[in-house]
Amino acid sequence: MSRAVIVFPGRGAYTAAALGSLDAGHRFVREAEQLREQYGLPSLVELDRADRFDPQVHLQPAHSAPLTFLTSLLDAEKAGMDHDPVAVVGNSLGWYTALAATAALRFSDGFRLVQEVANLQQQRESREDHGGQVIYPLTDAAWRRNPALENAVTTALGAGDGEVFRSVDLGGYTVLAGSEAGVGRLLATLPPVTVGERRFPLRLALQGPDHGPLAEEVATAAASILVDLRWQAPDVTLIDGRGVRFTPWSTDPAQLAAYTLDEQLTTAYDFATSLRVALREYAPDVLILPGPGNSLGAICGQIIVAEGYHGVRSRSDFEAVQRSASPLVLSMRR
Amino acid sequence: MTFDRVAIVEAALDACLQAATPAPHRLAPGEPIRPGSSLTAHAAIQLFEDQLLSRALDVSARELKKSERSFYTISSAGHENDAVLGAQLRITDPAFLHYRSGGFMMARARQLPGSTPAFDTLLGIVASSDDPIAQGRHKVWGSRALWVPPQTSTIASHLPKAMGLAFSLARARRLGVHNDLPADSVVICSFGDASANHATALAAINTARYAVRTGLPMPILFVCEDNGTGISVPTPAGWIAETYGNQPGLRYLLADGALDDIWRIAAEAIAYTRGTRRPTFVHLPTIRLWGHAGSDAEHGYRSLAEIAATEASDPLVANARLLIETGAALPAQLRQLLRDTRDRIAAVAGEAIRRPRLETTQEVIAPMAPQHPRRVAARARSPLIRAPRRRESFGGSLPEEATHPNRRTLAGQINAALADELLRRPELIVFGEDVGRKGGVYNVTNGLQKRFGPGRVFDTLLDETSILGIAQGAAHIGLLPMPEIQYLAYVHNALDQIRGEAATLQFFSSDQFRNPMVLRLPGLAYQKGFGGHFHNDNSVGALRDIPGLVLAVPSRGEDAARMLRGVVGMAIEDGRIVVFLEPIALYHEKDLYTDGDGGWLTDYPPPPAVLLPGDVGVHDLDHRDLLIVSYANGLRLSLQAAKRLREHHGVRARVVDLRWLSPLPIEAVRKHAGDCGAVLVVDECRRTGGGVADAIVADLAEGGFETGGRRLRSVRAVDSFVPLGTATSAVLVGSDQIVAEGLAAVGERVRA
Repeated sequence: MSRAVIVFPGRGAYTAAALGSLDAGHRFVREAEQLREQYGLPSLVELDRADRFDPQVHLQPAHSAPLTFLTSLLDAEKAGMDHDPVAVVGNSLGWYTALAATAALRFSDGFRLVQEVANLQQQRESREDHGGQVIYPLTDAAWRRNPALENAVTTALGAGDGEVFRSVDLGGYTVLAGSEAGVGRLLATLPPVTVGERRFPLRLALQGPDHGPLAEEVATAAASILVDLRWQAPDVTLIDGRGVRFTPWSTDPAQLAAYTLDEQLTTAYDFATSLRVALREYAPDVLILPGPGNSLGAICGQIIVAEGYHGVRSRSDFEAVQRSASPLVLSMRR
Repeated sequence: MTFDRVAIVEAALDACLQAATPAPHRLAPGEPIRPGSSLTAHAAIQLFEDQLLSRALDVSARELKKSERSFYTISSAGHENDAVLGAQLRITDPAFLHYRSGGFMMARARQLPGSTPAFDTLLGIVASSDDPIAQGRHKVWGSRALWVPPQTSTIASHLPKAMGLAFSLARARRLGVHNDLPADSVVICSFGDASANHATALAAINTARYAVRTGLPMPILFVCEDNGTGISVPTPAGWIAETYGNQPGLRYLLADGALDDIWRIAAEAIAYTRGTRRPTFVHLPTIRLWGHAGSDAEHGYRSLAEIAATEASDPLVANARLLIETGAALPAQLRQLLRDTRDRIAAVAGEAIRRPRLETTQEVIAPMAPQHPRRVAARARSPLIRAPRRRESFGGSLPEEATHPNRRTLAGQINAALADELLRRPELIVFGEDVGRKGGVYNVTNGLQKRFGPGRVFDTLLDETSILGIAQGAAHIGLLPMPEIQYLAYVHNALDQIRGEAATLQFFSSDQFRNPMVLRLPGLAYQKGFGGHFHNDNSVGALRDIPGLVLAVPSRGEDAARMLRGVVGMAIEDGRIVVFLEPIALYHEKDLYTDGDGGWLTDYPPPPAVLLPGDVGVHDLDHRDLLIVSYANGLRLSLQAAKRLREHHGVRARVVDLRWLSPLPIEAVRKHAGDCGAVLVVDECRRTGGGVADAIVADLAEGGFETGGRRLRSVRAVDSFVPLGTATSAVLVGSDQIVAEGLAAVGERVRA
């Protein structure tokens, strides 16, 4: 079996194309539906089977987070049958999925973690000054690093007057976050660029100022609500948003809990480093990207190119290997 | 299979895990591995992971070697218990490591999120240019982020600089020189039992004890990883404990026993040295598996029974048993871990061999000699000290205003230039034997300690290796050392500290670590009334032979002051190792042609006046009959000879002072040679020393100088040590020789 690194996406992954992803008969889905009922929240299966994608509903953190989590988890279960997972990483919410997928948390605890944090984030969304995230590219259309863009980000952060911070490092893109005022400054300061057909800086819909100091309130509340989660060593090595490895053999569950409920929420999430550690230290034959969607496909490609992994050193190299009989990135959904 | 010891050792570990049965109770991660132990189950398993990783890397290096894809097979196998130190020391405790430090490095890297130690190590093993530390120039243990300066460590030559860094920690802080190390950092250096016999090891440990004796802090751990063998030669039983177990000023701790015992003793050693700022000698018994290196056929000098007995003490087997018996881990878990680690490293090796290697000359030498002449020049000229402050520092009378002849000699000018540099560069330290209170054997550092304090100008013990070790260690943390070795002849006692260590640091670390320094080195011959080889040595070949090293040799005082500023700029800006060779015989010389003419006295050129490599001294630019190329004492003799040639023979000679012996200012020499009808190189060093004359004559000859109808000659010192008294003139270059050879060079053309 091929050596596989599983890469779980973040919350924004559940989009219109993802409707109809859930297998209502799956035991995880049934268990999730029971938990949703206990929370007094609408059925995920019904949301998943809606006739049309309603951003005002589907993108609400309390819905999009568990929908993403569930879809990812079900996909990963399938992938595990055909590949030998050697390490697991996730982006942002994907870290929670990774915890559940590796049995560091049993399913119901993983689901509670996802739902409770999403609920707290949604409460924050209802406030006037909830803040948000802005995504900005660091490479050109050919995925070559552009130092001018990096400098623009540094300048914008400097001009943020303490209201902005780095939130997620995706390698080829950076996600910045801040208060409403901070986000406004970022949008005003960052020079407009177009990559492909998308224009940047781009504010991410219904995403709060996570992975930074403005998430401390959420972290504090989550830690007290989720004090009873039962943590275990994962059954496959996890690599977190700092690039720290938690192995099946030497993990102290208390440290896993402490990281997840504090640092993971309140400091920048370095997805690029986590994937780089996976590539270098676990040398997978393939990266498997469970759904929903394929939000990390190009992101992973950019990190592979930056690494020169398997000799892939440009976007065209990457596209060629993806067209070959043995692609490096296997996206389970489109 | 009898001699495939790797397979045998691997199989023994498998067999141990296969046969083991689980303990009746499981330990929780935070529980001590045994009652009262400070090692938790969690930490013990982490150590075991790191040790297995190190072992798998060693196996991989040997596997890759079979297909010529790896270039380094000296392994850490059997030494993996040093991981205990890697785990407990901080990554801000500078580490100068023995080459068998895989376990240490894996454990240390664990402290740094995002680190990739297995891949990085394999990149070194396959000599890939992606190796983050040496970029394929050597397989070294090193990392900027982990504060592990790389070096070869094969002959304990890294111990003096480790000691030097420990010596400098508190001093740098007191002088306000910033670095990224906390105040309570300790330094670790590790070495083998056989290496403990090297003079460098003895020197470093001696100097550490000497520091303690004189009340100076010396926070260093000397870790002797004792595997009982130096390649094929066994270390006598008990030798290390006998030698180091009872030395005043050095605490000795034997880190023996089970993993948790070693953990406890290591913790004690670290706490003692961190708390007291005193050195500890940690004696860590290990074994050496699989010979010295992949190419070493151990069965040629040890019996199979001896080899098997050593293998039976594999620390990994012992540690696996400990984990299982204490309930820290289950046998099945460790089997899975072992399988996972082996598969993983095989896969990572597959990726490492795809990575590029250095290909061009430029790629190889890039970090060794970064050259930024503009930045160097700017740095050499600045900062300028405001006039009132400068005047105050010089006691009211600036050196450029000096009228007293002694202040306008070479020694006087160097003294003033040192004072100016000390005044404007707070990171500069001046040290060596007798440079402090006495002010130097030749008064060159006279008064500097009084003016700048013993924190910046200080006497050291009499050991060249340690002086250079202190210089390197100080430079690692941002000080700018200007050590003095009292005589050129004495530098040979410690030359490897420059050649093998200081000069290679940028090369092995891809310029991530630097140890810039300006080594002041009084030397060369012609001292009147104080003769003999050791004070008149004229051997510079060994210095010119060091890649990247700058050898500056002033002859006139005004040049010395300006050159000193230039080399300080090079050290700061480019990280250069500079030897500033000062001709002793000219230190106090006042005259050029006749007694009392004052022709060798010069006026002091205050900052920002500066001379840089390539800047030669030219005398009589309008003369074209003959070019005399020389330096140091030879310059003065050449000027005297030029006068005689002109007055007695009508030969008009231009004289060029090279000033820089490495790299040679060859462009300038070619240019002046092109102007003149003949060339005479006057080299006061040994005829066949592979020196300056050889290099210049060869370059001009290859450039077609002689075939253009012009003459090319040289005068050089005899192949001899320099004798005592008047006999020196029998071996050294003299003015008469220069005149004679000058006439021979110009031939009949001019003389007629």
